[in-house]
Amino acid sequence: MRRREFLAFVAPSVLVMGGLLLLPLYRTVEWSFERVNYGEDGEFVGLSNYGDALTDARLGQAVLFTVGLTVAVVAALLVGGYLLAVMVNRLGRAKPWVLGILLISYVVPHVVGATMFSWLFDANFGGVVNQLVTIVTGQEVLWFTDPWPNRVMVWLNTIWFMLPFSMLVIIAGLQGVSTEIIEAAKIDGAGPWRTHWNVIIPNIRGVLGFVAIISIMDILRTFDQLIPLSPQAVQIGNESIMLYIYNIAFQDGGQQLGLGSAVNVLLILLIGLMLFPFIRNVAREARQA
Amino acid sequence: MSRSRWQVLAVAMSAAVLLSACGAGSRTAESSAAQVACDLPAPPQPVTVNVLAYNSSAIDPFTNTMVASCTTDQITVNHEPIDFAGQVQKTTATLAGDTGTYDIVETYGFVLPTLAAEDKLAPLDDFVAQFGEQYGLDGLDPAMREALSYDGKLYGLPMQAQMYVMAYRKDVFDALGLQPPTTFAEMRDAATAIQQAGEIPYPIALPLLASADISTAYDAALGSLGVDYVDAETRTPNFDAPEAVTAFEELRSLVPFMDPQVTTFDQPRVQQQMYNGSAAMAIMFSGRMNDLSQPTNSRFADQFAFAPPPSVGGGDVLYNSLSVDGWSIPANAAADPALLFQMIATAVGEDASRASVPAAFPAREGIVTADSSPYAAAALESIGQAPPAEPYPWTSRIANDTRTVVADVILGNTPIPDGLAQMQQIATEIVGEYPPQ
Repeated sequence: MRRREFLAFVAPSVLVMGGLLLLPLYRTVEWSFERVNYGEDGEFVGLSNYGDALTDARLGQAVLFTVGLTVAVVAALLVGGYLLAVMVNRLGRAKPWVLGILLISYVVPHVVGATMFSWLFDANFGGVVNQLVTIVTGQEVLWFTDPWPNRVMVWLNTIWFMLPFSMLVIIAGLQGVSTEIIEAAKIDGAGPWRTHWNVIIPNIRGVLGFVAIISIMDILRTFDQLIPLSPQAVQIGNESIMLYIYNIAFQDGGQQLGLGSAVNVLLILLIGLMLFPFIRNVAREARQA
Repeated sequence: MSRSRWQVLAVAMSAAVLLSACGAGSRTAESSAAQVACDLPAPPQPVTVNVLAYNSSAIDPFTNTMVASCTTDQITVNHEPIDFAGQVQKTTATLAGDTGTYDIVETYGFVLPTLAAEDKLAPLDDFVAQFGEQYGLDGLDPAMREALSYDGKLYGLPMQAQMYVMAYRKDVFDALGLQPPTTFAEMRDAATAIQQAGEIPYPIALPLLASADISTAYDAALGSLGVDYVDAETRTPNFDAPEAVTAFEELRSLVPFMDPQVTTFDQPRVQQQMYNGSAAMAIMFSGRMNDLSQPTNSRFADQFAFAPPPSVGGGDVLYNSLSVDGWSIPANAAADPALLFQMIATAVGEDASRASVPAAFPAREGIVTADSSPYAAAALESIGQAPPAEPYPWTSRIANDTRTVVADVILGNTPIPDGLAQMQQIATEIVGEYPPQ
């Protein structure tokens, strides 16, 4: 390929990446050291925004809530996604229809899906789950104002809309596992449990790592589903990091773009930290391949 | 691609299209648009006018009338559906720079002084003098014009007002021999009687959403006790006044009569409680009342009656919040301001105002009468006994910045003295940012 052709092919990608990724990232880091209002030049304030953010107990609680949500949901997505993928993968002609139905929760906008999901727990709308739990336990659970029931509801909702993605990717991985290896394991006397644990899962480790990476990045940015699911998030400690950024920087026409940017930078660092083990594994596998 | 994969793709894409269509919402509904005369001079070049206004049953009639009536071959009027929080964000953004996205913005009395003090809005007095007679602007309520003025200048043309109104279940009240309460003490007594009757465990419904309405509720309670956020003369916040404590105590005294999750309830959720019959009395902005009287919304529609809200301590001023909405022209609007003014004047004209009743309480005098809507009498009584406006640039900022503290105090997470001390500090810092005039 000639140099001119190479540049012609590469330049659009570089321009798009620069405009949509690098420039916003640069501006975020720059603004994190400034006091910025819409339409005005920033004023350099050093580490003041970071100081304000890191000394706010709400940020610490938001990090705890978000990391807890991420760990719990990613574990559920890997286990649940695998089980669901194995079951769906065995289906015959019904598979496309089942897949299509399962994907509905993934394509519904988060805030719409979460609003509908919240009605299941809302006595005002006759909440089915709410009523069942009350019948079984004999107690009224305050899903929207008690911290732990509310957390469980947010976890369930996040699993509900992310599980189809996890399942879909894992199905793709399962279809790539050689049938000869599975047959060989069976001939060697391996039961279903050992076949999955010792043969199939090691074969799709890269796929599971990919699911984990994408899920961690998504869940650490949890925001819009909390609007209907946790309207009292600040008071019960169920504010996610992104919701914290919105509340302190933008709510009610606020203009603390610098403070919001500083927390964004901290969030990027946190995402990097949580992804590090997975990225290291993927890199190691790539080197071995 | 195999046949089965095509099937998956087809099912997924169909579901996506179907669901995105459901979630996208429609463009501005035209069902509430009245066609009125909008005789604008033809501009030399085609003009596009973008209008920013949130969607609600009280605002839509005016917005839709403007869009439906003022769009011509040469003038295109655009309005995209948006919720209130979205409007607040977009207002800040569009007013920030030398140029903005919107040419007409819906504003309200609570936030207008903050925007006017920063020279974000165009003063309208010269246009009123020029076009006032043509559009009958002297028919607009002077108090509402005052509510959209700052520092002696008019910055918004009032369209409609909302004030608190109490809705109650007449059948429940009659069965127990109760009268609509006129004080918080009477409200507690009525609620106790209803609770003891055993049918409705949580008789009172108030919008106390911890991330929004709760600060309005506290301000209304404080106002009913005759106290503003800030003493305007001394520029000293009043959160150290005894009334500030009483306002919290009185609001908290209602908590046992409300749903345990009331601090997650906004106005639609309170409406839902009334629709369901799970509450027997509610206090909301008047723009919500017409919905209650619709038989399609509730089987109790013909049992709802309306009264002014009670006062907190028995004084003349009610537990109330008067919010005046109007149209403003951004200082950075690109279109001809005279043309824009004629559009907003058309939208608050007599025909448009009459068409907005009973969904709204228009700013034109004499339009709302006791016969024109089921809650008109209650609204007229309520508006006459609302706490006076606090037309200062710090008011909305104090309300926003103290909201979390108010929620923590009402929830009992923070003792009242501690909460008030925090609020006093927050308010003092905000007021200090504005130089004395």
